[in-house]
Amino acid sequence: LASLQRSFNNCKNKEVQATLQIAKLNEEDLNPTIHCLSFGENVSSADYCLMELDDTLCKHIEAGQSLVIRGDKDERAVLCSCDKTYDLRIANTSNLLLFVPGCKTPDQLPITQDRACVVHAEIWGFCNSYWEPRKQRPKLKKLKKLLMENPYAGVPLAGQEESKENRYTMQDLLERIQASEEEIKNHLVTIHACQIDGCWCGLDFDYEMKLLSHVTQLVDSESWSFNKVPLQTSLEELAPLEPREMIEHCLNCYGRRYTDKGEVFYALHEDKVCRGLALMLLQNAVKFNLKEFQEVWQQSVPEGMSTRLEQLKGVVLVDRASSPETISLLKVEDLPEDTLERFNLLFTLREKWTEEDITTYIQDLCGEKQTTGALLTKFARSSLQNGIKVFNSRRPVAT
Amino acid sequence: MVQIVIRGSVDGCSPPQWLLVELQGEMVSRHNSGLAGNVMGDLLYTKEGVPVLIVGHHILYGKLVKLEKPFAIPMETDHQGLTSTSYTVSALIKQKLIFKTRPKPIITNVPKKV
Repeated sequence: LASLQRSFNNCKNKEVQATLQIAKLNEEDLNPTIHCLSFGENVSSADYCLMELDDTLCKHIEAGQSLVIRGDKDERAVLCSCDKTYDLRIANTSNLLLFVPGCKTPDQLPITQDRACVVHAEIWGFCNSYWEPRKQRPKLKKLKKLLMENPYAGVPLAGQEESKENRYTMQDLLERIQASEEEIKNHLVTIHACQIDGCWCGLDFDYEMKLLSHVTQLVDSESWSFNKVPLQTSLEELAPLEPREMIEHCLNCYGRRYTDKGEVFYALHEDKVCRGLALMLLQNAVKFNLKEFQEVWQQSVPEGMSTRLEQLKGVVLVDRASSPETISLLKVEDLPEDTLERFNLLFTLREKWTEEDITTYIQDLCGEKQTTGALLTKFARSSLQNGIKVFNSRRPVAT
Repeated sequence: MVQIVIRGSVDGCSPPQWLLVELQGEMVSRHNSGLAGNVMGDLLYTKEGVPVLIVGHHILYGKLVKLEKPFAIPMETDHQGLTSTSYTVSALIKQKLIFKTRPKPIITNVPKKV
């Protein structure tokens, strides 16, 4: 076999040498190794075979980790690592791309060799398109929607069974949400979801506020510092009213847990508590007189906490143009995820927006390396009103 | 919803590296017999590392370029009849040989000056 190989190589050598001569290439200028490229027997167009990877994804793959492509029939597919989500698009090139497994680069070849050496390399496949993942914000709106199908609203009344339907395990969520596991986990914390018997569900808003009120009222009646709320005592005092797990869940949502001399305490988060209580007040009114609201709001928060309108960025809209000034609920998390739909809705609610106000409601739309300025240039038209720059819709919108 | 897993490797090792050869235009077999099994051409390197490709009657000079973003080649994993689809990255491509210059024809018969 070896001699056959050698004679084959010799033939090839002669062929190659003849080609070099005709091509006017000087053997002395060349590396002695020649790759003879041929198409493999099973070669075929390898469209949809190549996937471009950024640095992070490449390191993932080299470390042996996995990526997951997720998508429903009517959704565009996304690629997820353990903690990031990418949009998957196909990029086309006018060039032909050939993949060659056995081909070496100059630095991998020996330079000192007497005779020409022929290496046979087979082309495995060829294509002129490839998958191009682009980092994008994960689609998490669906997560809250799923978890609010059957939220926990307290212990059911006597005689009624708590429905366990429409509650999802982490596995269920991974099969339905186009996001990475870590992004889903972080969002579960953000939306105050709770886990009951291994299944995740949302917390009914009124019930959440009931829990928060219990906690803040207890803090006031015991004259505790809101930075040092004892877990044990809170559980004992509130246990007759609500399940212990729920009280602890509320403390986890609105405070930071720490241990002092072996005892567990919570430092309530001022901004979160104030925001929660503001939402409770605004929930049932379309608009509130701003001044009246601010008075009631300050009175409702625990002793020592200060309310500030900045705490409500992204959840309320203040109308300073009306007389008297008003405030109403507008949560960015309730707005459409699609950029065009979002802008249409915002301009339906209010014809002209200041840059500061509208930025709050479009910040989350920005993809990687995208600015709110770029979005405004594309989807809105700016003008000056009383010397202040305002934005309105590019198209006529019914208000 | 569909979930397709792309595994980094089966045995925990980094996938092998292949080379990409990028050409302008199309590749057609001489007798229109399809490309499979046919010779494509010869690849040589100059001592300076410049890749040279001889395809048919043409000679092309190219460049070795490190890819800004590497490519992965996921291939369907052989899973012995299990229903879930999964892929494994069979190779990574971090460099390419790109031939962008106009191919020079190799003239075999140069008429002598009379």
